[in-house]
Amino acid sequence: MYLVADVDVDVCSSTNCRLCTQYCPESNTILFDTERKSAYIAVDRCKGCEICVGICDAQAKHHAIKMVWITDLDNPFEIRNHGFKNSIVDLIPKTINGNAAK
Amino acid sequence: MSLETIRVSPGFENYLPQEYYDLVRDSQFTKPRKVSEMGSFKEVIEEHPMCAGCAMTLFIRTMYVALPSVENTVFIGTAGCGRLVLTQGAAPFIYGNYGDTNAVASGLKRGLGIRFQDTPKDVIVAAGDGGLADIGFSMVMHSWFRKEKFTTVMLDNEVYGNTGGQESGMTQKGMVLKMAPNGKKFEKMDMIGLAKTAGVAYIARVVPTNPARVASAIQKAVLIAREIGPTYVQAYTSCNIEYAIPTPKVMDDAREVEKARYGFQEYFTDEAKEYWTRIESEKRQVKGPATEEE
Repeated sequence: MYLVADVDVDVCSSTNCRLCTQYCPESNTILFDTERKSAYIAVDRCKGCEICVGICDAQAKHHAIKMVWITDLDNPFEIRNHGFKNSIVDLIPKTINGNAAK
Repeated sequence: MSLETIRVSPGFENYLPQEYYDLVRDSQFTKPRKVSEMGSFKEVIEEHPMCAGCAMTLFIRTMYVALPSVENTVFIGTAGCGRLVLTQGAAPFIYGNYGDTNAVASGLKRGLGIRFQDTPKDVIVAAGDGGLADIGFSMVMHSWFRKEKFTTVMLDNEVYGNTGGQESGMTQKGMVLKMAPNGKKFEKMDMIGLAKTAGVAYIARVVPTNPARVASAIQKAVLIAREIGPTYVQAYTSCNIEYAIPTPKVMDDAREVEKARYGFQEYFTDEAKEYWTRIESEKRQVKGPATEEE
């Protein structure tokens, strides 16, 4: 079990800073969702260095990125399964009255 | 034009990996990208075995995004950390033997100039401080004195990173490392000064704390090397393993070092300055008519 970065979509989408996407040392790991206007993480490439957490907390002052256990994530995005995506809205399980559709 | 070089041959679609499709569909090959767009397009670097939180990886990632034409660029490297990620980019990479990177680049640049007379081909040497300042030192200096038209990028982590932490010529004086237990006895080599003496057309010293500035320095270096002469970019890319920097503190360390002794510097020769001013004014002219039409 290991830690990966996780973006709080509500906080992130209220800004338009994109700083974390420029400071992540790994390519195509912090991606930008053009529909939700939020950064998101390709967890299979995240090495858990926490540079993005420092950038988001200290430089951007948005506090939107936290390190979480990989097993705690529900349906994480993996770039090796889906390839590069500009938006992952179609990959998120649709909710009907608050319940995830089966 | 550039897409032609990576287009999928009909009939082979089902056998090609996802990454290839992404490169064809939405990447630097389809149109030039800015640093501010990072995360919104497929980058040319794939997965690689560099350490978590390595500043060198961040610098190389920014360097790839900044390239004026990635399909016409050839990288040359040597043993060291940098080649671990340079080999995973979708640009040709030539593995020079230790010490001869700049000699290989000289021949390659001349050969490409004869073979492709209409297309400018960019040759970039990207190697570490050991490869350029210690082992390849004479080749680097001679390529500069001969005014060979290619870019030399030093990934200066101030240590031999993947052989266990020996001191290099670029290590700070007094620095104690795993394989230098008494501390280094000599001063850090002044490669910027040597480059000036050798008459290098464009010299830049950067720290990857500001991706836009890194990108601008790389663009200037590559474009000036096309026409004027040798260019040199020296980048501080800390080794968080040998210098025992916790990964969340890597950017803090880079900012401290930038403030203390590694501030941004750039030098143009008169000829290079004139050329760059002309390029800038041409860019403005290209933009000018479009606004008039509106």
